Amino acid sequence: MKKNILLILALFFLSLTLSAGGGEYAVSKIPDALKKNAHVVKRMEQMRFEIINSGEAVLWKKYALTILDEKGDEQAGFQEYYDRLHEIKNIEGALFDAEGKELKRLKNRQIIDLTGSDDENLIDDRRRKYHNFFYKVYPYTVQYEVEIRFNGTLFFPVWLPREDEYYSVEESSISIVYPSDYTVRYKAYNYSGEPVSSAGEKGKKILSWQIRELPAIEDEFASPSWYEMNTVVLFAPAEFELQQYRGTMINWQEFGKFVYELKKGRDQLPDNVKQMVHQIADGIPDARQKIAKLYDYMQKNTRYISIQLGIGGWQPFDAKYVAAKSYGDCKALTNYMYSLLKEAGINSCYTLIKAGRNANRIIADFPSQQFNHVILCVPLQKDTMWLECTSQTLPAGYLGDFTCDRHALMINENGGTLIRTPRYSMLDNLEVRNIKATLDEEATLQVHAVTNYGGLQQDLYHELIHNLSKDKVKEFLHEQLDFATYDVNNFDYKETFAALPSVQESLDITVSNYATITGKRLFIIPNIMTRASRKLPAGEERKFDIELNVEYKDVDTVEIQLPDGYTAESVPADVSVSGKFGRYNCSVKLSGNKLIYYRSMEHYSGRFPSKEYPELVKFYETIYKADRNKVVLVKGQ
Amino acid sequence: MKANLILCFISSIGFFLSAGAQDKSTAKYGNVSVKDFETKIYSIDSNANAVVLADIGSSNIEGNNKGWFSLVYKHFKRVHILNKNGYDIANVSISLYSDGEDEEELDKLRAITYNLENGKLVETKLDVKSGVFKDKISSSRINKKFTFPNVKEGSIIEFEYTITSDFLTNLQPWEFQGAYPRLWSEYNLSLPVFLGYVFLTQGYQRYDIKNSNQRNESFQIIDSRGAGASERYSFTANVDDHRWVMKHVPALKEENFTSTVDNHISKIEFQLSEFRQPLRYTNVMGTWTKLTEMLMNSEYFGQQVTKDNGWLKDIINPIISSGDSRLDKCRKIFSWVRDNFTCTSYDRRSMDQTLKNLVKTKNGNVAEINLLLTAMLKYINADADPVILSTRANGYTFPLYPILSKFNYVICQAKIDDKTYYLDASEPQMGFGYLPSRCYNGHARVVNKEADAIGFNSDQVTETKTTTIFVINDDKSNLVGSMQQTPGYYESADLRDRIKEKGMEELQKDIKKVFGAGITISNFGIDSLNKYDFPLGIHYYFDITDEKEDIIYMNPMFGEGYKENPFKSAERFYPVEMPFAMDESYNLQLEVPHGYVVDELPKSQIVKLNEQDDGMFEYRVSQSGDNISLRSRIRFKKTYFLPEDYETLREFFNLIVKKHAEQIVFKKKK
Repeated sequence: MKKNILLILALFFLSLTLSAGGGEYAVSKIPDALKKNAHVVKRMEQMRFEIINSGEAVLWKKYALTILDEKGDEQAGFQEYYDRLHEIKNIEGALFDAEGKELKRLKNRQIIDLTGSDDENLIDDRRRKYHNFFYKVYPYTVQYEVEIRFNGTLFFPVWLPREDEYYSVEESSISIVYPSDYTVRYKAYNYSGEPVSSAGEKGKKILSWQIRELPAIEDEFASPSWYEMNTVVLFAPAEFELQQYRGTMINWQEFGKFVYELKKGRDQLPDNVKQMVHQIADGIPDARQKIAKLYDYMQKNTRYISIQLGIGGWQPFDAKYVAAKSYGDCKALTNYMYSLLKEAGINSCYTLIKAGRNANRIIADFPSQQFNHVILCVPLQKDTMWLECTSQTLPAGYLGDFTCDRHALMINENGGTLIRTPRYSMLDNLEVRNIKATLDEEATLQVHAVTNYGGLQQDLYHELIHNLSKDKVKEFLHEQLDFATYDVNNFDYKETFAALPSVQESLDITVSNYATITGKRLFIIPNIMTRASRKLPAGEERKFDIELNVEYKDVDTVEIQLPDGYTAESVPADVSVSGKFGRYNCSVKLSGNKLIYYRSMEHYSGRFPSKEYPELVKFYETIYKADRNKVVLVKGQ
Repeated sequence: MKANLILCFISSIGFFLSAGAQDKSTAKYGNVSVKDFETKIYSIDSNANAVVLADIGSSNIEGNNKGWFSLVYKHFKRVHILNKNGYDIANVSISLYSDGEDEEELDKLRAITYNLENGKLVETKLDVKSGVFKDKISSSRINKKFTFPNVKEGSIIEFEYTITSDFLTNLQPWEFQGAYPRLWSEYNLSLPVFLGYVFLTQGYQRYDIKNSNQRNESFQIIDSRGAGASERYSFTANVDDHRWVMKHVPALKEENFTSTVDNHISKIEFQLSEFRQPLRYTNVMGTWTKLTEMLMNSEYFGQQVTKDNGWLKDIINPIISSGDSRLDKCRKIFSWVRDNFTCTSYDRRSMDQTLKNLVKTKNGNVAEINLLLTAMLKYINADADPVILSTRANGYTFPLYPILSKFNYVICQAKIDDKTYYLDASEPQMGFGYLPSRCYNGHARVVNKEADAIGFNSDQVTETKTTTIFVINDDKSNLVGSMQQTPGYYESADLRDRIKEKGMEELQKDIKKVFGAGITISNFGIDSLNKYDFPLGIHYYFDITDEKEDIIYMNPMFGEGYKENPFKSAERFYPVEMPFAMDESYNLQLEVPHGYVVDELPKSQIVKLNEQDDGMFEYRVSQSGDNISLRSRIRFKKTYFLPEDYETLREFFNLIVKKHAEQIVFKKKK
């Protein structure tokens, strides 16, 4: 194996001086198994990450992708971000045709330099370099080579040969080169065997991983995390440096100490704010109430503005800065809230988290910088209170699906501790809807719907209430409801502000032609507003487990007053399904000239083996159909 | 011309100022008082998250020390932030232009946040030194960004700055309307008579004040660029002071079925047209023929098309054969360009590389690709010329004014055997003689000696869609059907895109999803998938295997009906601009299921949209023996409707949805 590495290195040097050409990338050389289900084939990839010292490193990588068809085009471009801590030294690129003949080389002036800021960030120092050959005679191959200098070693690269679905890999390797007295940490997924170690120049050590012939995988609904489905090796330093700060991440506690150092001493409040804290909090006996009041004060007096420059991406602005400007990013606002609580004599912890819907996948046994957000954790005697400090609207103690149900790193002077944020259960995420409706002879339906949304089901409505003006909410309702032609006459939202919040919605809607009245018959769907929309493609062979993250329950009662003189001709039978994925019941009956409809749906969460997939398809299909069942009534008789 | 509807000729609209109406804004930088916080809800918009109390700009022209003139633009804005959702207006970005050497200069920036704390006014100033960030967007655009400190619900914020620009073509436009309502929006422009600008006005709001006065001003120009002592010139000239004020301007709303909201916003723009005495007279704007002449001679436009492109021989010869008709040759060249080049930008009116280089790299912007096409057609002596236009998203161009900067797209006009074709080879699946719908935006110009004006209006294009379904009983008395559909050309283009992206199987799956579990589809096929000059042909067979209940309810539209009204919102502020006219017909021949009789049929109905017959909906059902025929047809001749027609349009589609939902009822024979 040692030989192999040397060979790779030799190839690397060769490729710098000679053009790769020579049919190396001829498409005919791709094994058939790698073309199956693939739009892109990674022909080769070599990565070399050399740690110069605990504060500096250099990443060199070279890769070639064969784009088999149009659907692979989006992978054909080159893009790398850089900032004050990462410098792009050199970019090379070449384009090859199907026979592997070189058509073009990248010229430096063709590289586009763009701002890397997204809308959220007011300002940061991230920029990106972009290039694309925009070729479209398929198949073709692009090859890129780039060198990036790391000024700071908080992050190490990830080796992830198969980067996407419909993407196969011919060969890929990574070598980590490090001084002999340095400790490199790694964690491998789906890699059989151990890395090869060898000796490098100047007494350096080398660890290498290599993989060949990974076939493409297909996109699947509710699949597990990418790490579980693919060969991935994560790397992290033992000791690292970021500007003048040093740290180790051999365990969460040690990593937490580093984070603590970055924020230490940044909790000094100006006197006027200190007085305000005492004015608000002193005299309130209950700790929870105290926290809620101070949180409310913070929400009313700050707003979220992101400024990420250099080490500012990791270190919070101090509490004085936030007090003076009344704004800050997640780090600054969390630190500010921490400072307010501290002044009130309440201990709290700055807590790192990976935020985002379905981003609840921290690798707990591999301490490293995996986080992108900061929240505040307030341990109380009986339980724990969580505060999202970038929100000006959330009730104290509620997290929502941005940060709930996942690992987080709680920081204090002793270092870091990995804990879990709260999880919202099926009955927390409850939606109860009550509809009273009247249908007239013209088939127009007057709907009065009162819905109570709980837990995660209220997140959207919380946003509606707080982020949109009344006009915009009306516009939203006019676009979103599932009726052909309708007017929202009245709407109202009432929010119950609590650690488990809920929103009550009242809607008055006029729906034109809700029912179909033809001559003597009347066709009507009794389920007016709660129709499941998910349908999964059937008959596909499922490869990976099914992971359903959110569980919830919906309960609906509908009463429709019909025009006089109709009798039932066809009333759908009750539907009742119960299984691993949930439980569903619905029933409808005609009582006098009233239609009474009842529906209950429980959707479970959990992890299910792939062989259960057909049952999941059937579960959704049954509900989809039952939700649209029609009642047919006849006049007279 | 559609553009005429939009250009609001103020002089023709009478307006009256109520006596004693305020004619000056009281707002001046720094004069915020406690009283200004009293209003919590503004009558202009009780829902507003923030209200712009004053937005006042001015531009004037000064002599500079580079021997020429500079534009000096001053901007003052005061906003009352009413709640958290208005916080985004406290993030300010000022855009500056640079041509690589000179850069527009931002100075005298200052900004204050005012809060009322315990009844007292508290000011927080922006720290300009540390609080203003620079973001380089492109080689010609720099954004200076800042955010106001100490912003809370109820804060009043204001800023003021000056931009000095040496680019006389960049006279700052003024938007009277924006995302938040404005109580006072004012622009002042002082123009010396020796600089001629054309004023371009649009929108539906009227001016509350609009006037101009002339006065005399002295100008000083210093030229210190030379080696020796700097030269000084001074002279006096007449200056026109223009003033435009709009009060109580509502917030801008986004709506569906508009070309671009920019076509409807109230704004005024300026275009440099000429230099006059005492400067040497120069017609800067020129005429259409001057403009096209300039383009034809430009190195990055016409020059490469008209010169002797001998090198094209090697490319063209393998594509065409000598026996081809002229039209065939043109078609082959068109297909070759379309199929071999990738368009990297659909928003360019000139070339960034030579045609030779384009052929080498195989990718380029829309101007490059269509100029290559033009050059190749010219090479075989076809009568071909470039055409410049502005896409729908880019806004209208003005037939009156030859303003090149308003154009952002190039196509090709080819006259072959007395027929005129408009060609766009930049879209991978567009046929010969078809233009993407974004091109249908009114006025355009042919780049030839005559600078012919042409118009691409959306009502010139009709999307014709036909669907035919036959359903009969098979020998086992199951209902089986065949379906044949020719979607409109643009719908076909969308489907081709989807098939390209997701594959044919996905399309089939979607059709299955619409039908639901009770129906199986077989012999699915699509014709003309790669014949881009034609719409697609979709056809398949289907079996209805539902259980044989006593009563069968059947929607005779078989999933092809309108289920939603495209006009969802109840109100409309701007005209409706549909992308094309349409003619959709649906025909069904249905055999009554064996063992059943018809119990109920939907009723026929024919509706006209209005007296001019701009739109028509026909729904006819008839039965003869065991055969039921149904025909549904929707036809729209017009594509442009004023807001007052909106209710009628919405009602019209409401009726279509209603009819398309109706069912046929069969009963088992007893």
